Amino acid sequence: MSHIQNDICTTMWNRWLRNAERQPTQDAIIHWRVDGAPFRWTFAALMDAAEICAANLMENGIERGEVCALILRHHPWFYPLYLGCVRIGVIPAILAYPNPRLHPDKFRQGLKGMSERSGLDWILTERDLEPMIQELVEGKASTIKGVHYPLEWDSQHAPGTETITKLNMMHDRISSSDPLLLQHSSGTTGLQKPVLLSHVAVQEHIDRYAAALGLDNRDKIASWLPLYHDMGLIAAFHLPLALGIPSVQISPFEWVMAPSILLDAVTKERATISWLPNFALDMMADKIRDEDLKDIQLDSWKRIINCSEPVRYESHQKFQRRLHPFGLSPSSLSTCYAMAETTFAVTQSRPGAPPPVLAVRRTELSRGSVAITTDERETKFCVSSGMPISGCEVRIVDDEGHDLPEGRVGEFAIRSASMFDGYRNYPEKTAEVLRDGWYYSGDLGFKHGADYFVVGRKKDIIIVAGNNIYPEDVESAIGAVRGVIPGRVVAFGQERPEAGTEQLCVIAETEITDSIGQKHLKMDILKAGMAIDVTIARVYLVAPRFLIKSSAGKLSRSANKEKVPM
Amino acid sequence: MISAELKATILAAINLDDWEIDDDTLASEVPGWDSLNHVSVIAAVEERFGVLFSIPDVVALRKIGDLQRLLDSKLQGKGT
Repeated sequence: MSHIQNDICTTMWNRWLRNAERQPTQDAIIHWRVDGAPFRWTFAALMDAAEICAANLMENGIERGEVCALILRHHPWFYPLYLGCVRIGVIPAILAYPNPRLHPDKFRQGLKGMSERSGLDWILTERDLEPMIQELVEGKASTIKGVHYPLEWDSQHAPGTETITKLNMMHDRISSSDPLLLQHSSGTTGLQKPVLLSHVAVQEHIDRYAAALGLDNRDKIASWLPLYHDMGLIAAFHLPLALGIPSVQISPFEWVMAPSILLDAVTKERATISWLPNFALDMMADKIRDEDLKDIQLDSWKRIINCSEPVRYESHQKFQRRLHPFGLSPSSLSTCYAMAETTFAVTQSRPGAPPPVLAVRRTELSRGSVAITTDERETKFCVSSGMPISGCEVRIVDDEGHDLPEGRVGEFAIRSASMFDGYRNYPEKTAEVLRDGWYYSGDLGFKHGADYFVVGRKKDIIIVAGNNIYPEDVESAIGAVRGVIPGRVVAFGQERPEAGTEQLCVIAETEITDSIGQKHLKMDILKAGMAIDVTIARVYLVAPRFLIKSSAGKLSRSANKEKVPM
Repeated sequence: MISAELKATILAAINLDDWEIDDDTLASEVPGWDSLNHVSVIAAVEERFGVLFSIPDVVALRKIGDLQRLLDSKLQGKGT
């Protein structure tokens, strides 16, 4: 085995530079294309290109400590641009390129909210978004200094000596505790919570997590994950770059249209590791056609890490059954529990072995305790998310924050060497979740032996295909639809076992009773969901005063969910 | 122009009674046709018309008119 040489550098740029000096011709990023050969960045070429981008950033007046939103689609020059930001101490914040169905006002509202919270200074994007963004920049209260279109910059000419001296001077002012990047704790546009992570925090986390995974320098990552998500950004992008191993980057947009692309990339590149949200396992097991599997060979794929959604035993089984004939090892599926607030990973299952599975009594679990059972009718299979990685401590606590014994369901409280300091410019949200150095995650689970199991959420967050949806956002949008009684809407998640994820459902009170009127209203509700980029799978229209309130006087999502036929 | 058969196949795949669909309609403009369902819609079209689309062809689709043209070219190929 060839171990990776880890040593923390003052800045992430220095670490990349060191990797490029040690292995200039090694692939760093393999930018995947479905319509031809991939574009391959070696470590040396990537750093040279990043230097060009850094010079362009500097010449455009972008300065150290400023936050740059990167809103770009899958493009080979995205990576050097990101690295170029880091080179001069500019803080990159990757944002999702807007889905065409997202209403332009909602997109602008999200950016405006981000600029207020995160202190957004610049937007680096594609020319196509100019009409949507320019109005925001020109607004009176805007903090945004300008928009640039980096894919139109001169990418051919290496900076001269004088420019390099200036770049070096800018870089020399960066300290290890300075922010490296800004990522958003997952959430819908209005509720994004910005997390700043320093150069040293990210490096330490990567080294600890790499040790938990048992990585070596023969490993190669394959990923279709969006880079605005912590799993894509930290695990599938920063981790390989910092460790000096290659990553294959696939367009998320293309992957959802043809999930076999990932298998093709793993086969051709002999990739060893991927992170996937649970729904992706179901999607690949169910939706890939036999003819797209004929040249697939997955024996190199030693670790597929299920993370970012509740882990479902049935999804693991289905994925194994479908891909075992193509060389997938039974021990390849593993699990991780992670969040942006701790940089990424909290727990990880053991390398080289499938995560432990417990058959527990469903009714007992819903009452907060774990009872092992052999009665199949009553069984819920819980898959372990593994054990805390080095530098992480986990407690399972009750509503008052007191420790619960093993086998009791409570909230995950986490203390980590890679913990965030708080949400940027969001002290009230920080105070809600960070107390005495412990982060209260809102996730529910239990400990059994050395393993931790995540079984649910304290808050009513709905997770659809790895995306967190806050019901408040949906209720607010649907409450504004004409025909819906304002304030009389609840949104909730419904398990969709066959898809390995949840679907979004809405109950709305209305006085409209005729079937044609209700049909139109349902359509308007679907459109209102689309305008905030969510898909509403089911709409229940109910009569006034159907919805009931909780003891706190608010509409109860869980009680109302029980009132409608599923 | 989108054929009635293609439209009916799409709407059935996403469980939608009716929706105006023309050449320039984007999948993301049709309720229920989201990234999770995209593969299912394409599979439903392949099954209904007995054709098979290549991955690059599927990934290159931008508008529903593109899907109609791709389908027409496949059907023409089958017929010759």
